[in-house]
Amino acid sequence: MALNYYHIFKKVKEARKLVIKGITVAGSGHPGGSFSMAEILGCMYFKFLNYDPKNPLWDDRDRLVLSKGHASPGLFSNLAVAGFFAKSEMETLRKFGSKLQGHPDFKCPGVEFCGGSLGLGLSFSIGMALAARIDGKNHHIYTIIGDGESDEGQVWEAAMTAPKYKVDNLTVFLDRNFIQQDDYTERVMPLDEELVGDDISEMWKNAARWKVGDKWRSFGWNVLEIDGHRIEQISKAVNSALQTKGTPSIIISRTIKGKSVEHMEDNPKWHGVAPNSQMSPIIDLELDCQFLISPSIIAGDMMNLENEVKRASLARADFIHLDVMDGVFVPNKTFDHEKIKQLRPITPIPFDTHLMITEPVKHVKNYVDAGSDIITVHAEVCNESSFGEIHDILRSNSVSVGLAINPDTDLPQWSEKFIPDLDQLIIMSVIPGKSGQKYIESTHEKTQRIAKFLSEQKFDGLIEADGGVDLTNVESCFFDGARVFVGGSAIIGQKDVRSTIIEFRKKLMHARRKLLINKAHSLGGTDLVKKWIDLHEVGKKKTELLQIAQEAGFT
Amino acid sequence: MTEFADMRTVYGETLLKLGDENSNIVVVGADTTDSLKTKPFGKKFPNRFFNVGIAEANLVTMAAGLANEGKIPFASTYAAFLPGRCVDQIRNAIAYPSRNGKNGLNVKMVVSHGGLSVGPDGGSHQQIEDIAIMRVIPNIKVFVPADTVSVEKLTRLFTQVYGPCYMRLARSKTPVIHSKEQEFQMGKGIVLRDGSDCTIVACGITVSIALEAADSLKQEGISCRVIDMFSIKPIDSEILEKAARETGGIVTCEEHNVMAGFGSAVTETISETYPVLVKRIGVKDQFGESARDGEIPLLLEKHGITSIHISNAVKSIRSQTR
Repeated sequence: MALNYYHIFKKVKEARKLVIKGITVAGSGHPGGSFSMAEILGCMYFKFLNYDPKNPLWDDRDRLVLSKGHASPGLFSNLAVAGFFAKSEMETLRKFGSKLQGHPDFKCPGVEFCGGSLGLGLSFSIGMALAARIDGKNHHIYTIIGDGESDEGQVWEAAMTAPKYKVDNLTVFLDRNFIQQDDYTERVMPLDEELVGDDISEMWKNAARWKVGDKWRSFGWNVLEIDGHRIEQISKAVNSALQTKGTPSIIISRTIKGKSVEHMEDNPKWHGVAPNSQMSPIIDLELDCQFLISPSIIAGDMMNLENEVKRASLARADFIHLDVMDGVFVPNKTFDHEKIKQLRPITPIPFDTHLMITEPVKHVKNYVDAGSDIITVHAEVCNESSFGEIHDILRSNSVSVGLAINPDTDLPQWSEKFIPDLDQLIIMSVIPGKSGQKYIESTHEKTQRIAKFLSEQKFDGLIEADGGVDLTNVESCFFDGARVFVGGSAIIGQKDVRSTIIEFRKKLMHARRKLLINKAHSLGGTDLVKKWIDLHEVGKKKTELLQIAQEAGFT
Repeated sequence: MTEFADMRTVYGETLLKLGDENSNIVVVGADTTDSLKTKPFGKKFPNRFFNVGIAEANLVTMAAGLANEGKIPFASTYAAFLPGRCVDQIRNAIAYPSRNGKNGLNVKMVVSHGGLSVGPDGGSHQQIEDIAIMRVIPNIKVFVPADTVSVEKLTRLFTQVYGPCYMRLARSKTPVIHSKEQEFQMGKGIVLRDGSDCTIVACGITVSIALEAADSLKQEGISCRVIDMFSIKPIDSEILEKAARETGGIVTCEEHNVMAGFGSAVTETISETYPVLVKRIGVKDQFGESARDGEIPLLLEKHGITSIHISNAVKSIRSQTR
């Protein structure tokens, strides 16, 4: 089964927006810890958990215990998106008479544990897991604990108990965001090593300092360590935990507090504060502007594609872009599904397969079976019926659905009915067929026009810019409306792929900051621009934002 | 000749019988399963018995998780370490979670070593605050039985009535007071002696001391009603109001701090229904200390928990109300 990447990605975004909505209306709540576990919950509720929102107490459901209960908005928003109650109820968060209490409570359908007092959830989960074993039930218990919460001695009482009873129907996530209420965890009570200096990113960079996994390992747990914002890593770890018998598993998930809202990220202040309602439309836009980098490996050594996948993977690419050319639809030939199958074990990073082949409907299943996570086919070689068939094959295999158009084609009429359900639209900015071509300038105007049209058509996927994208034009592509960026010679063709991707991200970050400052200005003039910039306290963000504002004449 | 019996032994034997009758019953212990006599349950039902070691917070919360899934966990250790140590876990993991009209999770907390009569272990182990702690937590029912008959009946009742329950057992053997036929209901006291001049309400080991006092007062021509109030929450306000109206004064007895404990519960009830003078026999807001088994009466005497103190309280009420 493929990742169902876009499905989860969209749900995570929707849930994050609901968190902002709820907390802003309530005037209090915990955004930081809700966002650090957003991808984990997204994978749980929209990939792994078995549940029935119409029958929340169904006996055989999987259970998710949120032990770090203060992150309840994160849980509630997922329950709302999953259909346990109306999304509009998020606005009743913390209100008198609401089922959405300040901390998770049985008043809310779908909540499995009344959290709030920290350190209790793991013991409770062990009780649940043992009960399931006594009853011969096959459901699984998932528990999310916090790193600040791990100061509680009871966590370690439970940590000793679960391996003793071999509760392998229990999987724990440690939301390792490095921040607790007072300060960075490594200053309040180190879980890894004491933090020297002020730079929290030091903790991230230096894996030699990560000790918390050893603690759990020494207690007898199956320990998996991942980047807790990567859907593919979460997914891989959960699958591995589910296959581990005889001992419980813990997934140490390194996360960023406040992830996806730049001014909240890594700032201890946003542990438990509500954003000002003036800011929520800007934050909403920021959440809509998450971007992804998809290096195209054919720009590298065609004789050693394995190595190109490794390079992209080590460089922390978001996707691996696989250009399949058949020599018919395009003049060149690259590789087919057999090659993809060989490349698949190298990395869990989503395979973004771009089929430049004729009659894709005949072959698409091969590319599904080879391990693609996203498959994009060309509009030029599809019609309503064949694309409908492709769409169904992809959906039933949890593969995300993409449609591509060449520079000289526009979105065909027949595709419109698919737009609301489409995950990805590739707008080619070179004539497909080979790597290293120059970006066709008219694509900017075309992308802007299509982006506007798509948003009117309730498109909630992403536009992918493909062809000639490099550091000089990636920002303009972002402004056009593209959010996924394929890089061939500009990324894979470079010697240091990792630094190049970092450069791409910096450019895109700059573009996004610009967009948000424009938004702030349009909503509240220079006054709001100033307030927005002032929120960005951590690191050097503020300096860059001030510069952008100055250049725009907003100061 | 009064028969003495051990509460913990009866508790363990009752669990063993109940375990056969109801497969949802599970037992959780914290390195005191030998002492609490739950070990035989573990031998007979190894899959339904969990010893978590000296980790009471974990004990209580795991029991909550088991109860959440429909099990009836009996969580047992010493009084000093369960309510004394785990008030947060008891409150938030057991008492608070409520849904579909079920208030709290169905955990049965049965502890031994309550009160001063713990003896040799000393003040650290003599829990004199548990009634106070447990009765102020919403949804929890609190019981302090006087003898082994009560223990057996209440343990059985616990498996039949939904909700979090707390029961405090004594360490030492206790005289058998009730007949095997005696019925026990939650929220209903039992009149052991009728009388018209004053009422003594007692719980736990003080019930037999109260009976002694009533017997000696009878010699002096004072007729005392004696009530075994094993059910402290819910409390039998009817029986108390009747006693107040018919006998005009009440003496309460407990092996517990008189502040916020059993005497307080009785006083609260009486003051709202039929206010009469209430005198509380119990620990006067101080800690206990070691006393060897033979010396426990001396320790109780030091804290004013004897039949003589009860008699004096009765007389004092009578002199004040006349």
